[in-house]
Amino acid sequence: MESRERRAHLTRYLILGIFFLLFVKIFYLQVLNYGFYKQMSDKNRIRLIPQPAPRGIIKDRNGKQLASNRASFTVSVIPYEVKNLNHTLSLLSKILKTDYQELSKKVEEAGLKSFPPVKLQQDLDFSTLSQIAEKSEELGGVIYQIEPIRQYPQQNWASHLLGYVSEISKTELEKLARLNLRQGVYIGKDGVEKKYDEYLRGKEGCNFLEVTASGRVLGPLKDKIPEEPLPGLELKLTIDADLEAIAESVLSNYPAGAIVALDPQSGEILCAASYPGFDANMFLSTLTPELWKQISTAPNFPLIDRCFQGSYPPGSIAKIIIAGAALEAGLITKETRFSPCHGFYTFGTRTFRCWKPEGHGQLNLIDAIAQSCDVYFYQLGLKVGIEKIANSASNCGWGKKLGVDLPDENSGLVPSIPYYDKKYGTGKWPKSLVLNIAIGQGEFLTTPLQVAALYAALGNQGIMYQPYIVKEIISPTQRLVTTKNIIRQLPFSAKTLEILNQGLQEVVHSPEGTGQIARVEGIKTAGKTGTAQNPFGLEHAWFVGYAPADYPKIAVAVLLENTGHGGEFAAPVAKKIMEAYLKQVVQMVQN
Amino acid sequence: MKAFNPKSWDWFLVGSALLLSLIGVLLIYSAKFNTVSLADKELYIKQTMWLGLALLVFLVTKEIPPKLHEALAYFYYAAGVLLLLLLLAFGATKMGATRWFALGNFNLQPGEIMKIALIMALSRFLVYSKRSPRDLTWVLISALLALVPVALVLKQPDLGTSIVFVVLLFAMLFWAGLPYYFLLLLITPIFSLVTAFHWISWGLFFVALLVFLYHLRPGLWFSSFLVITNLACGVLTPLVWHRLHDYQKLRIISFLNPGNDPLGAGYQIIQSQVAIGSGGLLGKGFLHGTQNKLEFLPEQHTDFVFSVLGEEFGLVGGIILLAIFALFLFRAIGIAYKSRNRWASFAAWGIASYFAFQIFINLGMTVGIMPVTGLPLPFVSYGGSSLLVSWIMVGILQAIYSKRYEY
Repeated sequence: MESRERRAHLTRYLILGIFFLLFVKIFYLQVLNYGFYKQMSDKNRIRLIPQPAPRGIIKDRNGKQLASNRASFTVSVIPYEVKNLNHTLSLLSKILKTDYQELSKKVEEAGLKSFPPVKLQQDLDFSTLSQIAEKSEELGGVIYQIEPIRQYPQQNWASHLLGYVSEISKTELEKLARLNLRQGVYIGKDGVEKKYDEYLRGKEGCNFLEVTASGRVLGPLKDKIPEEPLPGLELKLTIDADLEAIAESVLSNYPAGAIVALDPQSGEILCAASYPGFDANMFLSTLTPELWKQISTAPNFPLIDRCFQGSYPPGSIAKIIIAGAALEAGLITKETRFSPCHGFYTFGTRTFRCWKPEGHGQLNLIDAIAQSCDVYFYQLGLKVGIEKIANSASNCGWGKKLGVDLPDENSGLVPSIPYYDKKYGTGKWPKSLVLNIAIGQGEFLTTPLQVAALYAALGNQGIMYQPYIVKEIISPTQRLVTTKNIIRQLPFSAKTLEILNQGLQEVVHSPEGTGQIARVEGIKTAGKTGTAQNPFGLEHAWFVGYAPADYPKIAVAVLLENTGHGGEFAAPVAKKIMEAYLKQVVQMVQN
Repeated sequence: MKAFNPKSWDWFLVGSALLLSLIGVLLIYSAKFNTVSLADKELYIKQTMWLGLALLVFLVTKEIPPKLHEALAYFYYAAGVLLLLLLLAFGATKMGATRWFALGNFNLQPGEIMKIALIMALSRFLVYSKRSPRDLTWVLISALLALVPVALVLKQPDLGTSIVFVVLLFAMLFWAGLPYYFLLLLITPIFSLVTAFHWISWGLFFVALLVFLYHLRPGLWFSSFLVITNLACGVLTPLVWHRLHDYQKLRIISFLNPGNDPLGAGYQIIQSQVAIGSGGLLGKGFLHGTQNKLEFLPEQHTDFVFSVLGEEFGLVGGIILLAIFALFLFRAIGIAYKSRNRWASFAAWGIASYFAFQIFINLGMTVGIMPVTGLPLPFVSYGGSSLLVSWIMVGILQAIYSKRYEY
């Protein structure tokens, strides 16, 4: 019996030991890790229902709406609440007229037992919606919500500039991890929508619902106040919608092209049209992978904004830089003449043609600019040399990004001695290359925006402002106004600028000038034509100009792909734009 | 009927059991308070009725003299084994396991009855067997007595109950005074079980065992029994593992790593811990446990009833429950060693060990330090059979207590 009592005591200690162990574990759970488990239990019972924020409205410089929001119905499914997923999705695919596989892929990506609603289709029309409502008995776990959705009032209009919004992709979700975005949110993917996404997006709100383990919603959570969505900020652009409309409609008569207009006094982009374009509304709901492929690989690149993402040989537009460089170097005066033009120029064994086969005769600098004589500039180019031309072009802002507030700007290309050394081997390249450079051919590449910015500066005492598109960011409490920003002074003295200006005015006003069609009635206009050779077909037609020439209010660059001579095709387009804008300015002044 | 004599009652024992049963009803009420199904909502009423019945049975049982049980012990055992055999032939199958006879509304679980029968039979055998330290045949026979129902219950299969039988065997041998190192030797098959999946370590272990046996010389029968069981465990375990039901494998795997499969088998363990942990010091309040009322807790009225308590009454509630259980177990152990009748002492000991084991396993499972075995928490968990058997055992303990001075 003694031993029995000892064993009984031993057992009691054992029991105490095990109870202590249990106590330690309970203490660990309830005291040491209380916070963690409390959070876990809240996460279990609280379902967050995101409340999308209306995206900021985009307006033009005069307050006209360019992008707004409208209400749309979105159908989503809560995978956890669906009893028979196959049945539900196949029924939905019939009603929504979409592919069953596509729907089930969306659900699988989110997780077959997940609580948060998975968006299946946005922007349902009313009849589809009522079909779903009729079948609500069969479609347990399927919900529809009203959401603000992006709307671009005019289709195919300023689409490059504004860009578009679309559902965030997996890679973007990872890239923007710091923003803590939710799957299924819409973000700007191009243009202003992309560049200013953080302002436009706003902040999603949140409703808190209490749910059971099976996903039954008991109602809003009592101890938590819903978070209201914060609408995105309003943007006021520098764009003039009327001018943009004119530019867009003119452009649609040509195979492809771009029109950029700037305010030379500030760098504000007054219009920026690129053709062909796309309907930004299409990216919201109906964009299928096939359609996307069709758009993104189309031979005429509708997604490229030709104004600043496309680069082209400048052609004769570049002559002003060669002239400027020569004047600055003191190599010539405005009266300097070279051997007369007989329609061609012979260098070594090769013959270089002038655009005018019958020749220009012997011209001074002003007339050579006005008539765009190639032979004059061949000789001038030889005199100036590649190094000075390249320096001058770089200092005019070519070959570099301007830093416009739009995504994926192209920098263009200014061929220089190091560039040729690299391409052909040091010193191994033919000296005749400079002849091509002198008339803006060869490897030279510029964007229409760079061209417009250069000529805007030429008309504005050589001061170049950084082009920009967003004029103001407006929040309910304050407005943030973009300040104009001088990015460079052209590498030309006032005297040189005066000569260049004179030449550019002669282009339009001289009876021999190549750009006479661009003349705006009653206003001194300056400009330059360009015809860029293109190995794939007709030449690209250029015209760039500014008006009034003495104190320009607008500088415009027009590029028409595969159309022909700049003076013939691009100049009248430029005239239309300048005229329309100046008429408006005059009206405003009169009022 | 004798006149009522309050001094013959172990008020602490019966009182704590009653308190635990009432706490059980309360927790079941809370567990099903928010369900949609009306039948589920009224489970606490059912449990109350079961409790009433159990108390009646207790009052009867406590009047049965222990000596009668002693005399009938082998009969009980034979009847229990017979029931288990019949069960295998005719029982109702649910979720791949055959555990009970469906008798109208009542499910008779022979496994539960066998627990009492085994305790009584082992007590009877151990009281009358000659227990010499040299000849360990008695240990072997005790083991056989336990292993017959173990085999039958495993066939159902019901892993939890079979483990209970094995534990009862050890507890009884311990009480019979078997030296500790023999107990250790008896546990060796479990080591074989664990090492079986890695045959080199099992081989090393087996060789060590042989050396140990040669040195101790605990008798031929005992030695060969150990060698055979260890061999069997080592060789058969991998084979048996493949024959286990998937849900049983999952339970074991998910116990070892609950985070592995948070939506599957590990879900219960995780949600139970979340419930307890989020209760904090004082709990979320009666009927306000969100894990409980929103049904994130699995089996919250049966196996995981302690999580309801932990969530709604916090650490304080948990400590109180542990204290009541400790009091109950201490009283039961006291009855075992104070009882002068040897059979009664063994029986009381067996009952005490049975309760202790069920409590540890269940609580350990709910807080996540034991695998999910599906053993209910005595007195507290919902379930008529369990409550009835528990109160029968309390009745036997009370009977033994009132006659503790009789030889």
